[in-house]
Amino acid sequence: MPTTRRQFIKRGAGLVTVGVVMPRIWLGEARAQSGGPPADHRLLVIQLAGGNDGFNTLIPYTDSRYHALRPMLAFTEPELHDAQGRSTLISDQFGLHPAMGKIKNLYDQGNVAIVQGVGYPNPNLSHFLSMDIWHTADVSGLARKGWLGKYADLALIGSPGLPAAALGGGELPKSFNAETAVIPNIINFQLFNFIADPSYPGDYNNQINTFNASASRTFQTDTFMGSINKTAFESVRGAQLVQRAVSGYTSSVVYPDFNPLAVALKMAAQIMVTMPEARLIYVQMGGFDHHSDQVAHPNGQPSKLTGQHSVLLNWFSEAVNLFHVDMTEHGLADKLVMMQWSEFGRRPGENASFGTDHGTVGSMFLIGNPVKGGIYGNHPSLAATQLDAAGNPRFSVDFREVYATILDRWLGADSRAVLGATYPDVGFLA
Amino acid sequence: MAILTYEEAAHLLRRMGFAGSPSQIEELSKERGSAVDSLLNYNQIDNSAMQSLLDRSFDFSNPDEFPKFNRAELQRWWFTRMVYTSRPFEEKMTLFWHNHFATAASKVPEIFMFIQNQTLRTHALDRFDSLLAAVAKDPAMLIWLDGITSVRGRPNENWARELQELFTMGIQDAVSGATSYTEFDVQEIARCFTGWKFFGPSRTDPNRFNYQFFINPGEFDSTAKTVYGQTANFSGDDIIGIISARRATARFLVKKFFEFFVYPLDSTAADKATIEKFADVYIASNHSIREVLRAIFVSDEFFGERSRFGLVKSPVELIVGSIRMLGARYNPGAIGRGDRGDQVSYILGGFSALLGQELFNPADVSGWKLNLGWINTSLLLNRFTYAAFQIIGRTRDLNAPGVWVANDQLRAYTKANAKKTVQKFLTLLGPVETDGKTVRQLRDYLQTDDRGNLVGFTNDDPTIDKKVRGLVHLIMCLSEFQLN
Repeated sequence: MPTTRRQFIKRGAGLVTVGVVMPRIWLGEARAQSGGPPADHRLLVIQLAGGNDGFNTLIPYTDSRYHALRPMLAFTEPELHDAQGRSTLISDQFGLHPAMGKIKNLYDQGNVAIVQGVGYPNPNLSHFLSMDIWHTADVSGLARKGWLGKYADLALIGSPGLPAAALGGGELPKSFNAETAVIPNIINFQLFNFIADPSYPGDYNNQINTFNASASRTFQTDTFMGSINKTAFESVRGAQLVQRAVSGYTSSVVYPDFNPLAVALKMAAQIMVTMPEARLIYVQMGGFDHHSDQVAHPNGQPSKLTGQHSVLLNWFSEAVNLFHVDMTEHGLADKLVMMQWSEFGRRPGENASFGTDHGTVGSMFLIGNPVKGGIYGNHPSLAATQLDAAGNPRFSVDFREVYATILDRWLGADSRAVLGATYPDVGFLA
Repeated sequence: MAILTYEEAAHLLRRMGFAGSPSQIEELSKERGSAVDSLLNYNQIDNSAMQSLLDRSFDFSNPDEFPKFNRAELQRWWFTRMVYTSRPFEEKMTLFWHNHFATAASKVPEIFMFIQNQTLRTHALDRFDSLLAAVAKDPAMLIWLDGITSVRGRPNENWARELQELFTMGIQDAVSGATSYTEFDVQEIARCFTGWKFFGPSRTDPNRFNYQFFINPGEFDSTAKTVYGQTANFSGDDIIGIISARRATARFLVKKFFEFFVYPLDSTAADKATIEKFADVYIASNHSIREVLRAIFVSDEFFGERSRFGLVKSPVELIVGSIRMLGARYNPGAIGRGDRGDQVSYILGGFSALLGQELFNPADVSGWKLNLGWINTSLLLNRFTYAAFQIIGRTRDLNAPGVWVANDQLRAYTKANAKKTVQKFLTLLGPVETDGKTVRQLRDYLQTDDRGNLVGFTNDDPTIDKKVRGLVHLIMCLSEFQLN
């Protein structure tokens, strides 16, 4: 939660610099301040919230320690086959979870980079602090601005149309917290509209005009009034833009409505296809906090292919594949990189609830035609002497290295300006 | 001490309750302490009118009877309470604790969410230790944070972590910044709560809500644990007592009370002093929630300028408050109404979810993100849509379920000219304090026809039905209106 300041609204005293034109944030009238991204490069961020279990996603099936630590949850080599019976092994050390057959196919095509052993120094096992750390790229967790919000402030101010949006969720992800940019989140397109009394359609313009007049006021930026007012203004303008655009989308791809990530990615496709200026899209799916029932356990026996984790990874895999097909159909697949993250991995050792407690390292998936497929980073040692007091392994790749690689190699940014330091290139982009 | 002004009384009622009508505000025209006590000592307030409405509108006697007992019905039930209660602070505190001990129907069956709601209401102003113990032993929390599967030898850390991080101390002490607990403390405390279970009513028990807590001795880890540097065979109850007595807990709770009821606290020296002032009350009163809150509500911090409209309305405050301020009618509808797919009666719960606050189902264990957490482009547009919904309802049928405002109700506040009418509705809906230019724009709106010409204002029925309703919508869309 950003720091708040005292309110100055009393009797209008908070109105400052009346008459100064509001920055046209993401709808843009000013010119971009810096080079901006290569004109048509797009980034889709997929957050898997709750702490995805990296060790049952990219599965080290030959690691005897993995099996020893997870008598109930570990997958053995014969179990690593998808629903069609095809192997999900991707190397002589690793396989993908059997629910991820579609991502296995994309991997085989060279379009998936998996960075393993991802974490950061002094890992925090709180969901909320660790998420903040990832959102802000600040390991204290106290920074206010998100890494993509900082990027938007540097590179997207003044861009026309809708350069960035979070789709499908009720919350604006902290990654998008910015100083100047107001990045919209859109739960669904139907509701994303300014609605007035339908009995008097002739009065609608009066309503909009009066609303816009009050929402065009300028307030001190670090007050609640300042935040609310500029968000109100942009929401109604954005609604009009989005309503005009997205109705133009058609596709042969059918996104199943029971899969929440597919629903969000359909919205992403609608935006990307109809609003070519869209650069950053953010979606998320929750439910990964599998302290219990990570796998189903009828009669006390683990049934690894039917538990909650299996369902979620299947949704992830299916949705990503559909989106990739859709982008290919629309000629956009060469211009899109998808980046998946989660606030931490889970503990190598299982608990008694058919689940796992909070861990440190996890894996990140980078997906898309521009990605150089393969496995990056090192498999963290699960040897007892290499685990910390809580039983968690050490990271080998700092997540900020992944961010820096994307900023420098894909978004044409100076990663140092966004991240405050220089990080090595992980190598998954040419 | 002086009698509260109208604005101060309205402020108090917004924060301790869900705002109110002019007459409800005027009832609080008393000295600060008396006004606060009149809301705080709610057990002395007759609430039989609400109770008889609930009795007519709901049948929760059998939780297995799905059409009468389900999540939509629970939401309809709680909104009915909040709109009609004569004890608004009771509901506000229950809502506070629901957010504090955020537990969700996404994982926990509705029957346990309902039982937890009773637990929160019963212990809302109790000693904090008693509330915490009751919540910890309640089936909802034992399911939500996996206590029932946490056993000796392989404890589950979910509860042990959130107990400290979210329910009591926070990761860091709110004043000193010191780390409140270590990962080792999480693991050791997890062991203290092993074997915690509950059992349900027997087949013949007429009380289908009769769930009882117990500890399975065979699953409890009875060896020594080291917690915060002290070693003993601690039980879960021991830990609850130890944590409740820690200064970090007092500070954390004060901070959360302020964020919800007063204003968000910064990390300045002055704000830390404020935390300490009320943390002292917590310690001195032997952890009495009631005494801490009373001290806060009668304080100069609460009545000062920083506090006035220093919070963002939550969706529940927005919805219930708008109905109460405007004197809109809310008819909850009949038993089982929530499950009929009949959006009219269930719609308050549904709208609240669209605005980001689905009762009985917060997104995660950290609860709803308050204040600017309620504000983003989608949630703001949904607020405006709720405002439209509230003024669109016009039915004159007293038996029709839903929310509606009759023209007669609006006429009572409509004056002979546009200027006074705008002022009256701004006062009614807050009082909303805004600038002169905005007031003039609202006045012009009232007098503008469909072609955009200024044609003047008449307080006749067609104008009320069109433009006064439109005015209410526009006031509810003002950024000022989103503040509490």
